Amino acid sequence: MNHGRSISRRRLLGGLGVLGVAGAAGGLTLGRPARAGAQQQAAALGAQESVQDALRRLFGSRPMKDGAGSVTLDVPLIAENGAVVPVGVEVASPMTAANHVRHVYIVADKNRIPVITRATLFPESGRAFVSANVRLGETGDVRAIVEQSDGTLLQVKREVKVTVGGCGG
Amino acid sequence: MRAWPVAALLGLAAGCAGGGLPQATQPPPAWTSRAVPEARGDFRVRADGKREAIRYKGWTGRDFGAFRTYAYDDARPEVPVTRAAMPAGVAGDPKKGRALFLSRAKGPCSGCHLIPGDDVWPAGSVGPDLSTLGDRRLPDAYLYQQIFDPRVVLPNTAMPPWGAAKIFTPEEIVHLVAFLQTLRGPAPPEKDPERNPFTRPKPPGFGDNLDPTNNPGVLVAEEAEALWSARGPAGRSCADCHEGGPARSMRGVATRYPKHVAAYRRMMSVEDFLAAHGPETTGRPLPSESAENLAMTVLVKMASNGLPVAVDLTSPPARAALARGKASFHRRVGERNHACADCHTPDKGAGKFLGGRLLGDVTDGLTRHFPTWRTSQGALWDMRKRFQWCMTPLGANMLAADAVEYAELELYLTSFDNGKPLSVPGIRH
Amino acid sequence: MADIGKVRIRVPSTIKPGDVVRVRTLVIHPMERIERDAQGKIVQKKYRYIDRVVATYLGKTVAAFDTTQSVAENPSFAFTFRATDPGVLKVVFHDTHGSTWEGTADIRFS
Repeated sequence: MNHGRSISRRRLLGGLGVLGVAGAAGGLTLGRPARAGAQQQAAALGAQESVQDALRRLFGSRPMKDGAGSVTLDVPLIAENGAVVPVGVEVASPMTAANHVRHVYIVADKNRIPVITRATLFPESGRAFVSANVRLGETGDVRAIVEQSDGTLLQVKREVKVTVGGCGG
Repeated sequence: MRAWPVAALLGLAAGCAGGGLPQATQPPPAWTSRAVPEARGDFRVRADGKREAIRYKGWTGRDFGAFRTYAYDDARPEVPVTRAAMPAGVAGDPKKGRALFLSRAKGPCSGCHLIPGDDVWPAGSVGPDLSTLGDRRLPDAYLYQQIFDPRVVLPNTAMPPWGAAKIFTPEEIVHLVAFLQTLRGPAPPEKDPERNPFTRPKPPGFGDNLDPTNNPGVLVAEEAEALWSARGPAGRSCADCHEGGPARSMRGVATRYPKHVAAYRRMMSVEDFLAAHGPETTGRPLPSESAENLAMTVLVKMASNGLPVAVDLTSPPARAALARGKASFHRRVGERNHACADCHTPDKGAGKFLGGRLLGDVTDGLTRHFPTWRTSQGALWDMRKRFQWCMTPLGANMLAADAVEYAELELYLTSFDNGKPLSVPGIRH
Repeated sequence: MADIGKVRIRVPSTIKPGDVVRVRTLVIHPMERIERDAQGKIVQKKYRYIDRVVATYLGKTVAAFDTTQSVAENPSFAFTFRATDPGVLKVVFHDTHGSTWEGTADIRFS
């Protein structure tokens, strides 16, 4: 088991070199983004909005193909609570420089902040697999949206029921 | 010092004369709680004169003082069994009845009973499926009595006496009856196997409880490691007396708790013992339900992970405590008039769904993963907080976390874990 | 309950050159949620949550997560990387208050 330590932000920024304020509100670059830009990105990512607005904001009118053949979304049918719900996404992909998964988005339709995370992957990732523990506000669809290196978008989604009951919740 | 009931004194005399065990009739001595203020079950009086419970943050402050508790000196009876006739002049409204059936402010009735509807989520399976109850053409008066106080018809039922305890008004029960009579077959085809508690899959749980990249509770124990070596106000540390580090010096210790501790003349869990032992040795207070007490308890218990639980059930004090703990397990308390047994024994609710929750079976052993990380709370809970939590839906005032009654109930529960390996901290909903 | 910023990383005990290795991480963090006042209005404050996670191996990024308040408290993340040479896997967590924590794992072959 490996342990962590705290490092000061100043030290980290110094290590990353000169930072500018990232301009575009578009996608991440493949290299390390400027810290301030990343913060802007994440703030934009986590906006309170409807899921339709979120998808429009992130993907515009780009077509989304059904990912059923290659994308596996691992979510429980029933989540015992909305506080901690494990979500895994695996994509069949060669993960070569020419053909790899660039981003995996995890979205929860009924969350006040529907975009949960955007994972960025690289050929060095070896496989297109990510998982995260997420919050769900209520029963609703959880989506995995995969962006390939050629810009193709794939989507799968499944309903997760959030349950209640028992001895006071 | 509490006055002993006459029966106990007689028992003591009989014991001295060579009759039964005096300890069996002798209640344990009174115990002054060493719990943090919000865990003592205390009350304050508000400006308007009403009693308000001092409780954990976010817990209700409501006073359930009208109803029986687990306290050994609470000799009040259950909510009295009550025959009731339907009130005249009330027209039953099935729509109101359905809303009441599903209201989480009341039962909800759906917590135990399935009815049709896509909006019915999640119904339970503790009680019978009522989806076609109307087909049975039961008299309104019979259904009314069944809801008002089912014990008139079924003396051992787990179903609460909704009317006798005044949870539903007579008028509300009339609406419920009207609704139930509309439930006629054939029931609509089930589109969703999860909706129906009789076909719903069991929850998969939260994975490996001992993996620190899965269970934040594991990291909490590390905080206690620093505490173990730190000098308390009396100038000593745990390490000073317990050599070799917690993992070595505490190995096997937790497998024997809860146990009767002669020095304190009572049954104690690790948490209870630490609350008394800490101040007396290192000078460090480790009040029950404090973060330090919980962390230290996890640290001590982890040293026994993998070892079988081995609580004493045969010595005279253990047998007496076990008998009292078992009696508590079967004791009906609160506004809902429930006993632990109603939910947690195989011939009642165990293995069935209460709302969306699968009810645990006491005979499986329910204690060996405590303290457990609760994902819904983002915190470690010990067994006592779990007991106290149950009190709110039961409609009963909680006792102090370190109450002897809870310790003896915990002994009864732990008797079913004997022989099974400890695995602390757990991770649960 | 544990201190904020504690990091744990888990990698398999046996790794061969060329393996695609699964990594799991956990960080203690409140991941503050949007609060509303008694009237239902959103409380305006700088919410504290992790918004970026960057995993590097031999100095190259192998996975990154941009994260929001919809990620769970004390979040756990998993990803993979191809183990080509012995070296350090590092995972850095950034939060919205400017704090940064990291964890490392020594990747060795056996």
